[in-house]
Amino acid sequence: MVLNGIRMGAGRWETASRKMESTMAQSLRENLPLVADPRNLDHSVEEVFNMMLGASCELIPATPIDDPETITAVVGFGGLLSGACVFRSGGATALNIAAKLTGMEFDELDDTVKDAIGEICNMLAGAWKGKVPDLSANCGLSIPAVITGRNYEIHVQAPEFRLHHTYRFDDSVFDVTIICDGLQ
Amino acid sequence: MSEMRVLIVDDSSVMRKIVERALRQAGLDSLVVVEAGTGAEGLEVLKTQQVQLILSDINMPMMDGLEFLRQIRAQKLATGVPVVMITTESSEEHVKQAILSGAQGYIRKPFTAEQVKERVLPLLAAA
Repeated sequence: MVLNGIRMGAGRWETASRKMESTMAQSLRENLPLVADPRNLDHSVEEVFNMMLGASCELIPATPIDDPETITAVVGFGGLLSGACVFRSGGATALNIAAKLTGMEFDELDDTVKDAIGEICNMLAGAWKGKVPDLSANCGLSIPAVITGRNYEIHVQAPEFRLHHTYRFDDSVFDVTIICDGLQ
Repeated sequence: MSEMRVLIVDDSSVMRKIVERALRQAGLDSLVVVEAGTGAEGLEVLKTQQVQLILSDINMPMMDGLEFLRQIRAQKLATGVPVVMITTESSEEHVKQAILSGAQGYIRKPFTAEQVKERVLPLLAAA
């Protein structure tokens, strides 16, 4: 997966925030512990799942996805911070999330399920960056991209930092990764 | 309440359904929802139909929600109709941009039905 493509997708935010970047970049890098605080990710997941699905999520140790089909949604960050928010789950978890989100039943990873997972990732990305005021104002989001398939991996070269947490609600397991591959 | 026609503009069909459900939970039972998947589609709707409320996403491909708002004003469509932006973007700057572009309300995703009710009902009452 090429994160640069996503960064360019969110690039329209870069021009608008360029002036702000020069004055705030110093403080953002100085505030790296705040930006990379893993609790922000946990709070974002809880906020999105609680408000939109009425579900409470539990942070669990990293668990391999035990499902023949995997779905991944990616929302890119552009601006002061570049990188991506990546949501990943097995097919059964995606069906469960889409059902809770829409009130409909699904038996395959159709376009509506992919749309639902993309929106979940979009809200997670927005909630996460909203935890840090400088990021909230100076970091844009790309349109979600959703990938389905089997036995694929996402590789990012030398990220600045990476948060990777696995969560469970009901019997559904998913993971969320924040990848920062550039901090200006 | 008599029939109320609402335009929901969002590139996500799932989000359009969620917003519709939240409006119904807010007590707007006589709702007639018109959906648009892009800003351009939304403008076409407004050229042919009268609506009482517009809810629009901001982060959309091709024409974002702010440009959609500017086009509504530039083309003098839906004059006096309240517009509420629904978006993951929540900074003061984004809210300011939305208000300057002509929005009367702002709802941050994720949201609850109660929050939609709090933002939307006063606008409808004042319209």
